[in-house]
Parts: sequence; structure tokens; C-alpha cells
Amino acid sequence: MKIPMKSSRRENLAAYVFLSPILLFFAIFFAFAVGFSVWISFREWDMLISPLDAVFVGPSNYVVLFSDPLFVSSLVNTVIYAFSTTIAVVILSLLIAVALNNLRYSAVWRFIYFAPVVTPAVAIGIIWSYLYNPSRGIVNEVLGWLGIPAHNWLTDPHYALMAIIIVAVWAGMGASILIFTAGLRAIPQSYYEAARIDGATKVKMFFSITLPLIKPTTLFLSVTGMIGAWQVFDLIYIMGTNAPASSVQVISLYIYKTAFVNLQMGSASAAAMILFAIVLVTTLFTLGIFRKGGIESYE
Amino acid sequence: MNKKRKVTGMIKYVFVGLVGVAMITPFYWLISASLMTLQEFLSVPPKWIPSDPQWHNYVEVFKHVPFLNYYFNSFVVAILSTVMVLLTSAMGGYAFAKLNFIGKKLLFKFTLSTMMFPAFLFLIPNFYIITKFGWTSNYLALVMPFAVSAYGIFLLRQFIMGIPSDLIDAAKIDGASQFAIFFRIIIPLTQPALATLAILSFIGQWNNFLWPLIITSFSPELTTVPVGLSKLSLAFSTYTNQNLILAGTVLEIAPVVALFLYLQRYYIKGIVLTGFGGI
Repeated sequence: MKIPMKSSRRENLAAYVFLSPILLFFAIFFAFAVGFSVWISFREWDMLISPLDAVFVGPSNYVVLFSDPLFVSSLVNTVIYAFSTTIAVVILSLLIAVALNNLRYSAVWRFIYFAPVVTPAVAIGIIWSYLYNPSRGIVNEVLGWLGIPAHNWLTDPHYALMAIIIVAVWAGMGASILIFTAGLRAIPQSYYEAARIDGATKVKMFFSITLPLIKPTTLFLSVTGMIGAWQVFDLIYIMGTNAPASSVQVISLYIYKTAFVNLQMGSASAAAMILFAIVLVTTLFTLGIFRKGGIESYE
Repeated sequence: MNKKRKVTGMIKYVFVGLVGVAMITPFYWLISASLMTLQEFLSVPPKWIPSDPQWHNYVEVFKHVPFLNYYFNSFVVAILSTVMVLLTSAMGGYAFAKLNFIGKKLLFKFTLSTMMFPAFLFLIPNFYIITKFGWTSNYLALVMPFAVSAYGIFLLRQFIMGIPSDLIDAAKIDGASQFAIFFRIIIPLTQPALATLAILSFIGQWNNFLWPLIITSFSPELTTVPVGLSKLSLAFSTYTNQNLILAGTVLEIAPVVALFLYLQRYYIKGIVLTGFGGI
């Protein structure tokens, strides 16, 4: 039990002196910036004139977005990317974390899985663009050994997004494995011993002990993974250039191109607001789950 | 029973091993291909091992592209923003953890809530702000939008809360000012958390791509390593020294992997503590 101390005038002053750079930063790069985005999303602005002279167009930027087939396909691709990447990462990294638990040299294995997490996404994109090369990439080469026919992974609209999702899963597993491992270690060994005495199989133990007890970690990773995945940019920018835009482009790329290639700041801001709404819904959904799950450590 | 356990053990190893090979192969291929001659690199079917390692590929990179410039820019930006983030996070973390002031709860909630806003919402306004301040063609353009990290404030607040308040009270009785307490007590005791934040921030900034991409399209002299490499790799079809780009990619990865290996335990602590791979 903490007894709230009365704050003195000097302490108030000291606190605000310590916070002043942060408050100044948030005033400029957050509050003003968000307001600016909202303001511009209702206007037509090309960045060449003063934003104050930008013509007010009402909600038309938002309306026009949904009649732009490229925006709609970007939205669909983002949803496909976010869900498949997150689900695959969570399932695979849980399985790997369980398999790694109590395995010899587990630290070495974890490092191997972790390497892509620190690697710049641009480097990952470059490496995999070569690996996916239809004639001299090793992906088709290895698949050929297994008798699987070669594909133009990054240029064929049917495969391009899937190929990028596979890379995202490859790159994203390491961090989740680490967090799952921490979660697995928190499960008391006595539960497993009791189950073993009762003659439970490993599979049975996984489904009746591990899975229910690791649930908070699974939820946490699903949602943080999802929030990150909604905003994917680097991998798609590097690897998605040779496929038709409608098959790989995601919202973030749509925003970038609309703003900094076409200089349509109004519709780019409107698209950014829509992305924000998606992220916000995901976050609020998570916070709800956390509260229900009794995780209050963020307070 | 025993046999069955052996079989599950085998399956475990095969599974972990196969995925492990899939994790490592792209890196192996990158290093191997970066040492090939152009002919070897272009051969069909692909070669796995360079017949005669071309170490000079790594020298050529510096001759054919302004790679040294990219490197310098990346280091300056990553170091400057890391220093800023450490300072602002420690100051904010201390205030939120140990000081009582009006509006504390509200400001802390506000700080956390800023994390919910996607970076894409800030591209246009931040670009406008940077141009208005006249920073477009210097490092401030790349550093200032990342000078404060809500995540960092949160991380350090959690850590500083664990420092016994008795220490601070004792110093107060001895007549120490708030700033003396901050620099003489808090900062030295917070070093593990600062190390964690430093490595997360450095790697995050070194790998940062989108914002430098935008800024450097207006000020190419500020090009960082990821942006420079992406431009080279996307201009490929016309580029005759494709294998050199791979040498460049190795050089892009090297500093962060070295840093990670060196400060691994701090990095992993940061990930496990908060569940995020970056800032």
C-alpha cells in the first residue's frame, strides 16, 4: 500500500522541468501533427502552397478512396497480410518454443532463430528477392529437389503476396519464440510431473496444460504482431516492385505513394486516418482482453 | 514407453533442425554470394560455394557507390537519436516514477496512448514541420522526429520505480537538489535499463527505412545505408555489379549483428520485458 505524498511546489516545478523536452516534443510532433493530419484529410493539398490555402473538400477524400480500386485492393492485401503473418508467426513460434524448451544447446538455437529480428528489413528484402529469383534463386532450386515446379514468386500476382508473407514469418518468429520461452518457464514443472504420473501423453499435456497457461502470452503476441503487421512497409517496398500493384500493395505503401510520389496530401492523410482507425480498434480490443485477463501492469 | 519418448525426441530435433536450416540458409547464401564473381553469381543453376572467394568485392563497393557516406550518415543518425532518446526517457521516467506533481496520471496515460498512433499518420505533418523549421537538409531532419520515445519513457519508469525511495529521501535530507539526485543517484543506478534502451534504439534507428527514404528523396546527401542499398537493389536490371550489392548488404547487417552479439542479454531483456522487437 502506497500512501500518496502531498506534492510540494518545488517538486511540481522539478517534475515539469524534467518533462519539458518531452512535452515540447509531444506538442509539436504529436498534438500538432495529429491535428494537421485531420485538417488536411478534409482538404486538397499538394504541399507546394501553404496548407492554409488548401481547398476544403469535405469528406470527399474518404469517399473517393473507397472508389479507388487500388485502395480497396491495398486494404484487402493488408488484411490478408496481417492475419496470415500473425497467425503463422504465433503458431510456429509456440511450437518451436515448446520444442526448444529443455533441448540441449537451446541458447544457440534461439540465436539462430533470432538473427533475422535484428537484421534490417531492407537487407532481408534484398536477400530474399535474390533467393526467389525464378532461374538462379535457391528457392526454386531447393523446391526442384523435392519435385515441386518452379514459380515466378515475386512477379506472379498469385504468389507474390504469399511469398512476402513467408519472408515476414521467417523474419518475425525470433522475437515471439523468445517471449514464449519466457512464458513457458513460468509454468510450474509440478503440473507436468502430476500429469506424467497420471499417464498423460505429451500431446495431451500440451493441450491441457501448456496451451491454457500460455494464453495471456499468445494473446499479447497476437495483438502486438497484428498492430505491427497493419503497418508493414519495408518488405513490400523492396520485394513487391515487380508484381502488379493490385496483388501486393498494402495501405502503408498506398499512403507513401499518394503523398510523396503523387503529392496528394489530402487523400494520403485520409488513408492514414483509416489505417489509424484500424490500429486503434486492434489496440482497444487488446486492452479489453488484457483487463479481462487481469494484466494490469501497465497502470 | 521409452521407445515412444525417443521417437518424440527425434521428431523434436528434426523439426527444430529443419526450421533452423531454413533460418540460416539465407544468411549463408548472402555471405557466399557476396564473395562470388559476377559470372558465378549469375550462373544457372545457382552455385552454393564461391570457387575462389572474391574478397575485393568488399573494397569495390566503396569505390562504386558512396558507401562510406551512407555508413557515416547512418552512424551519426543512430547515435544522435539514441543519445536523445536515452536522455529524454531517463528524465521522463524519473519524473513519472519518483516525483509527485499535478496531472501526473493524465500525462502518463497520454504518453502511453501516443504509442497507438501509427507512424504513417505523422509522415505528412512531420515533413511539413521539418521544412518549416528549415531542417530538411541536415541531420536534425532524421533525428528530431525520433528524439522522444514513449516506449523508452515507459521502460525507464518501470525500472526507476524499483529503485528504493529511501535513497532519494536520504539525499534530500543531505540537501541534494533534484538535479543532483537525477545525475548522481538515478542515472548510475539505471544503467542496465539504459543499456537495454540504447541497444534497442540504436538497432531501431540503424534499420529505420521509411522516414530516411522520404527525407533523402529531397536531400540525397543524407542517404543512410538502408536507403542507399534499396536504391541500388531496385535499380538492378541496369546495374552490372549485382554481386557488389550483396557485399553492401553484409556491411549493412554487420554492425547490428555485432552489437547484438556483444550486448545480447540487454537486448533480450528489453524484448522479454515489453514484448516488442523495436521501438
